[in-house]
Amino acid sequence: MKLAKTLGFASALALVAGLAQADSTVRFWYHFDNADNPMDALIAAFEEANPGIKIEADNVPWNSYYDQLYTAIIGGNAPDAAMVKAFAQPRLVEMGALAPIDDELASWDGRDQLLDNLLELAKGPDGKQYYLPVQYVVLYLYYRPDMFEELGLAVPTTCEEFRDAAKALTRDTDGDGQIDVYGFGFRGAKGGHDHWASFTLGREGVSLTDGLTSEAGVAGTQFVADLFQTDEAFPPSAPNDGFQEIIGGFKAGKTAMTIHHIGSANGMVEALGDKVSAAPVPECGGGRWTAFGDESTAVLANAEDKEAAWKWISFLSSAGNNSMFNAATGQLPVVKADSQSWSLHPQRFVQATVDSLPFAQMLPNSSATADFVNTVWPTSMQRVLIGDITPAEMNAEIAELFGK
Amino acid sequence: MTDASLPPVQNADVPPARALSRRILPYAMLSPAVIVTLAIVFFPMVQTAWMSLHDYVLFRPNDFEWVGLGNFKAALQDEVFWISLRHTIIWMTTTIPAQLLLGLVTALLLNQPFPWRPVARALIIIPWALPSVVIALMWVWIYDSNYGIANEFLLRLGLIQRAIPWLADPDTALAAIILTLTWQGFPFFAVMILAGLQSIPRSYYEAASIDGASTWNQFRYITLPGISGVMMTAVLLRMIWVANSFDVIFVMTGGGPGYATYTLPLYAFVKARTNLDFGYGSAIAVLFTLLLMVVVVFYLKRTGKAVS
Repeated sequence: MKLAKTLGFASALALVAGLAQADSTVRFWYHFDNADNPMDALIAAFEEANPGIKIEADNVPWNSYYDQLYTAIIGGNAPDAAMVKAFAQPRLVEMGALAPIDDELASWDGRDQLLDNLLELAKGPDGKQYYLPVQYVVLYLYYRPDMFEELGLAVPTTCEEFRDAAKALTRDTDGDGQIDVYGFGFRGAKGGHDHWASFTLGREGVSLTDGLTSEAGVAGTQFVADLFQTDEAFPPSAPNDGFQEIIGGFKAGKTAMTIHHIGSANGMVEALGDKVSAAPVPECGGGRWTAFGDESTAVLANAEDKEAAWKWISFLSSAGNNSMFNAATGQLPVVKADSQSWSLHPQRFVQATVDSLPFAQMLPNSSATADFVNTVWPTSMQRVLIGDITPAEMNAEIAELFGK
Repeated sequence: MTDASLPPVQNADVPPARALSRRILPYAMLSPAVIVTLAIVFFPMVQTAWMSLHDYVLFRPNDFEWVGLGNFKAALQDEVFWISLRHTIIWMTTTIPAQLLLGLVTALLLNQPFPWRPVARALIIIPWALPSVVIALMWVWIYDSNYGIANEFLLRLGLIQRAIPWLADPDTALAAIILTLTWQGFPFFAVMILAGLQSIPRSYYEAASIDGASTWNQFRYITLPGISGVMMTAVLLRMIWVANSFDVIFVMTGGGPGYATYTLPLYAFVKARTNLDFGYGSAIAVLFTLLLMVVVVFYLKRTGKAVS
């Protein structure tokens, strides 16, 4: 450690003096679903602009991203910088794993280039800034306009309309006695809490930390359970379905609606052309709730050369580079200039995102959120869907987690 | 080794220094293996036992609080622990006999002369040689309710009326995984038993057939006793491996839907690695180790007697 500190100090001195630059390596972890990985091009551009800094970027699979990150931090083998989501921040701060970037931000000219309010949203639980936003999305409803038109349905704006539409859309299209299309592709595995939340947390007086066990709160979970058990409007595999399954099912025409963000829009258009469109999620029980899907980068506390790590993450959130980054992830840039010139998604999906922003929310800034996302929600939701427990029991379990 | 063959008279002539070095030599030669085993097997085991007596949540690394047997008490009152234990028992008592039976039949077939036999013997090992993750992903696709070949096949045969979500239905998920594991593990038994079969002298069978023993009797009184030692070892090894493996389940269902495919090793892993609750996760692992030890000791006692 002493040696590392001395080295870090020495390299900082060298940089300040503007003399020969010390060689340092920044180990960066990220997760991309997209196989067309732009990271190599970004790294090449960065290394050319910053001789003496080498970037070692690892694409870590999403399913175990946080398991691996936490374990690496405890094992003393954490990366120097990493892509991170808001739900993990309270836990990472509690672990002392993040380095504050307030000073760097103050003197960075890219700061004013960021979209308004994003830095504020990404603030740490202790008021310090650890996260630098790099992309964002808002979840909305994907639907099949051709199927809606065929059945004379309107795009649902309330939960009741949604349920009617889902029931009507679930049908046997070729007369062989098998259901070929299901109304809604529900994500019952890890990551599906956003689907459930849109039907539950918009209800009056309901949030993850308050009112979940009230009548309104339980009604939300019951709504999901009924859609699956009574209406059979989800594919039978819904309890285990994850990202691949809901997107694949929608693209293949197995489902007529699903909830996801603009990140999958281009793939959907590639598969379905004009037969896919988007709208904000329906209003349920007097309000709307959709997830603000954030993604930031952070410098880790154990980074050997924090300055180099900061240079790299701020590079990713600068005009032009941020565009390139988001062109591959399919999400939306956080830099104003890149946002204005954005033309990589068909307008209808950008519009659905913008229309959803007024009621988009993040999960609570609490260390319970990680357990909610990773185990408590998926397990209890699956148990409700297969009839193991009641919706009231599920909500009680979640309320207990956040009440601790 | 050579010591034993030396006459005692010569031993007395050996100078004391040489005698000492002779005494030390075996220890010196064994020590690298022993030290490595201690470091990478024994030490983590002790550490796990030690952690299980503490309240240790990884994201609060500075709180390492002694709770005695608190974690064990909590585990015994934990619904999920009992669900997982039940699944573990079902899983072990069906997977291993199924693998053994399938392996035995395969070995007997492969022991018959037929053209291309060496090729068949090589091919049979494939499921065993594939990485678990590949097997799990492959079977996830086989069971897929929309595109899976299992549903397609059964639908066309008219055995089922609509596609079954094998892995999403709590009634079929565990059975589906057991079938996958049986397929993965039977080549191990086949290869072990085949080796055992080849060590039985042909003359036994010739003598038996001259005496007029039927095929069944030859199998019952020559083949089975001839391979019982191999079978016992294979079952023991497999029992320990199957009990400890959770990778296939983890990839196929992650324990879901709900707790429908939770087993004890998986539960310990999820608790420790996903919830980062290392104290509780270790307690489950220790409990499971103790249970497994009881089973193994009991098994060794019973079958050891039968074989000897």
